[in-house]
Amino acid sequence: MAAPVSAAGIEITGLVKRYGDTLALAGLDLTARPGEILGVAGPNGAGKSTLVKVLASEVAADGGSILLDGVRWNASTDADRVAVVHQEPQLFGNLTVAENLLVGQEPTRFRRPRGRDADVDVLREVGLLPYADRTVDSLPLALQQRTEIARALSKRADVFLFDEPNSALTEVESAELFERMHALAAQDKVILLVSHRLAELAAHCDRICVIVDGKVRTELAPPNIDEERIARELVVGRAGQAGADRAGRTASDRRLLDVSGWTHRRSRFTDVDLSLRSGEIVAIVGVEGSGGRELVRSVAGFEEARGTFALEGPDGSLGHDAVAYVTGDRSDSLFTNLSVAENLYLRQVGSLTSRTGIVRRGQARAEAQRSREAFYVKTQDLDTPIRSLSGGNQQKVAIAAALAIRPALLALEEPTRGVDLGSKAEIYRLLRDFCSSGAGVLLYCTEDSEVFDAADRVAVMSRGRLVGILDVAEYADAESLAEAIAVRAGTDLVPSHQTPREGKSA
Amino acid sequence: MAVDQVHADGTSAGDADGAGRRRLLQEFGRTGGLIGTILLVMAIFAIASDGRFLQPENLLGLLRYMSTLAILGLGLTVVLIVGEIDLSFGAVYGFSGMVTAVAWINWGWSVGMAIGLALAAAVLVGLFNGFFTTVTKIPSFIATLGASTLVFGFTLLVSGSATFSPMQPGPGRTMNEQQVAFFRGLSNQDLPMGLPMGAIWMFAIALGFWYLISKSLFGFRLKAIGGNPVAAQLARIPVGRYKIWSFVICSVSAAVAAILVFAFIGSVQPDSGGGLLFPTFAAVVIGGASLSGGRGTVLGTLLGCLLLAILNNGLALMAAGAFLQQIFIGVVTIGAVVLDQTTQRWRRGA
Repeated sequence: MAAPVSAAGIEITGLVKRYGDTLALAGLDLTARPGEILGVAGPNGAGKSTLVKVLASEVAADGGSILLDGVRWNASTDADRVAVVHQEPQLFGNLTVAENLLVGQEPTRFRRPRGRDADVDVLREVGLLPYADRTVDSLPLALQQRTEIARALSKRADVFLFDEPNSALTEVESAELFERMHALAAQDKVILLVSHRLAELAAHCDRICVIVDGKVRTELAPPNIDEERIARELVVGRAGQAGADRAGRTASDRRLLDVSGWTHRRSRFTDVDLSLRSGEIVAIVGVEGSGGRELVRSVAGFEEARGTFALEGPDGSLGHDAVAYVTGDRSDSLFTNLSVAENLYLRQVGSLTSRTGIVRRGQARAEAQRSREAFYVKTQDLDTPIRSLSGGNQQKVAIAAALAIRPALLALEEPTRGVDLGSKAEIYRLLRDFCSSGAGVLLYCTEDSEVFDAADRVAVMSRGRLVGILDVAEYADAESLAEAIAVRAGTDLVPSHQTPREGKSA
Repeated sequence: MAVDQVHADGTSAGDADGAGRRRLLQEFGRTGGLIGTILLVMAIFAIASDGRFLQPENLLGLLRYMSTLAILGLGLTVVLIVGEIDLSFGAVYGFSGMVTAVAWINWGWSVGMAIGLALAAAVLVGLFNGFFTTVTKIPSFIATLGASTLVFGFTLLVSGSATFSPMQPGPGRTMNEQQVAFFRGLSNQDLPMGLPMGAIWMFAIALGFWYLISKSLFGFRLKAIGGNPVAAQLARIPVGRYKIWSFVICSVSAAVAAILVFAFIGSVQPDSGGGLLFPTFAAVVIGGASLSGGRGTVLGTLLGCLLLAILNNGLALMAAGAFLQQIFIGVVTIGAVVLDQTTQRWRRGA
């Protein structure tokens, strides 16, 4: 079934994509040849996901060209030639596997379409034939991904882009997926693998492109491919960020939070032991699917977990209720039908209510005004709708609202995602101020470069395990800390002897 | 309004006043169009009916019909603000009237106890709706649609599909005259200018709802939940409890409306609520409440009910016939919502 592919493969030159003032892709050049697996690595915000979106025809590039077999690739007409296999498969969950292969290319005009012979071949090829009549929703994630591959194959795609494909798979499933990848490469398909997992990149890729700031910084070829080398390339040039002065970071000895044997109900993380002293900021670092996000949510009581949980306030033990939680997605933390002021006092309004149940609006407004000044929220006035604010200011409102109730512990997810540099620094400063009053902050980050400025200690999560705790003070700069995190998160994942590079020729 | 603008620290008076004015203007922009439409429709009916529309008796009758819509509509507004939907209030309306009648006339309970039973039954339906929406988490559209049929079935069951009147209690039964007088007096009294008692009830209830929706903590959180239930949950607002309360409020409002209408007319039929479901929905949506939650005001709902009452009355006056009336109400409802959506998009774009 292999579609003939010329030797050209995919050739990307000068790709540019702008989001407002930021350049997500700043003239990216990249070539991938048929039959090879090209790894794409890079820190968060480097432009990897934008590259994936452009190739998946989700966004249009602002400049540059993409040649497929030497012919200019048109995102709207040739979209099917590039297939993206997502971390979370984008399929029709209510339809069967066989039907998923048909959607959009039904061979009938009026009749309900039935499976084609060609599809049966494809399904047999990827080992999905026994599941052809099962609905996609009823299948495990690994088989859903395989359905996505089958769907791409039936559309005769030439380029397969795997976007963090195995972050939620078990080791056995991952190994199968990589076998499939090598099989596709053997059919002369072009394979791009975007991954955070350095060990896997090193084990399976023929070449690796490291993207930093929207450009390919380095290309690594066989003799140079190993985890440490990739990790080093990932963090080069990010040392310039001035670390906040560490003098003020003196956590007290009082334990604020203590969890041990902490295990997620559906095992998103297992057996985590973590403690946080009062006055301390601890960052949980880990890619999506590492369990870090769920860990932070479970401390706030929004994910079910087993184990011992102890939160000690100054006046005794507290429950999950004493943890204020701000999610990473602003659409889940703000109320678009309410004004800036209302969003600011939303959480504390219960204490600003008279005994007859009337909200003391004047007092509430005064509180909102106080928060607005403390957080430098830039807004015309407090009564404008929240969505008239910039992203950074919206985020400040979300955090300010949570801090207004003076929680014992603040749990945050990616507090600076999509936030400009100035707001970023302010948010860190405010978190620091909040801690100095004896409270604590637990934050979840995917951007390891940020934690140097923000945190006192870093807990590295990988595959649901806490794989290391680093003291930020021991690292001279953000670069060395990021490297240490990358190595710790990457090494113990897939022992390299388990999936040898020689395996793919078999 | 101006009294609670406390400028504790740093809020400059000018800032707050400007904001207050802007809010007032915004509020007017939202209701101004509706008031304009109401005046226009009134003018059309006044001319087309040779002034009969503006006769005091006619306007007072209109006001009475409006009061029924409004009491139902205010309860529905609460459910819509919290982001749910209630399709059962029509059935609850029929059920509570019938429970009152059966308990009082057939079972010989005192009228007070009969009314108490009807209100308790309404609370139960509200809890039923709330339970299935928040605990078993089925969509409120389905839960309340099911409840609607279920409750209507009970209505037919207890009534035997008969019509009841305390003035004709049936063979072998006598009613306590005092109790009948008290009951009829609930909404059938001689008031100055012939003002219907229902209108007084409506204004009193509307005042209560205004306090609840615009002034109280309950209303504030209701609006927050409707605007973003996920964020509300994460901010530790007890979302489920607020939703259950909203369903109870809606059901009880329907029961109150039913009892007042029963008291005014003096008789009650099992299918009386069915015809009120759509006009009430239309009125509330025209009044600016959003089916996707987080939006709705007492003033808007009252104005929407007024418009619907005018249409109902004016079309009847012109002998347009029930069929044409249906068509009209459908057109006006869709037209009003389209207009509102368009102006909103336009305002947001500006």
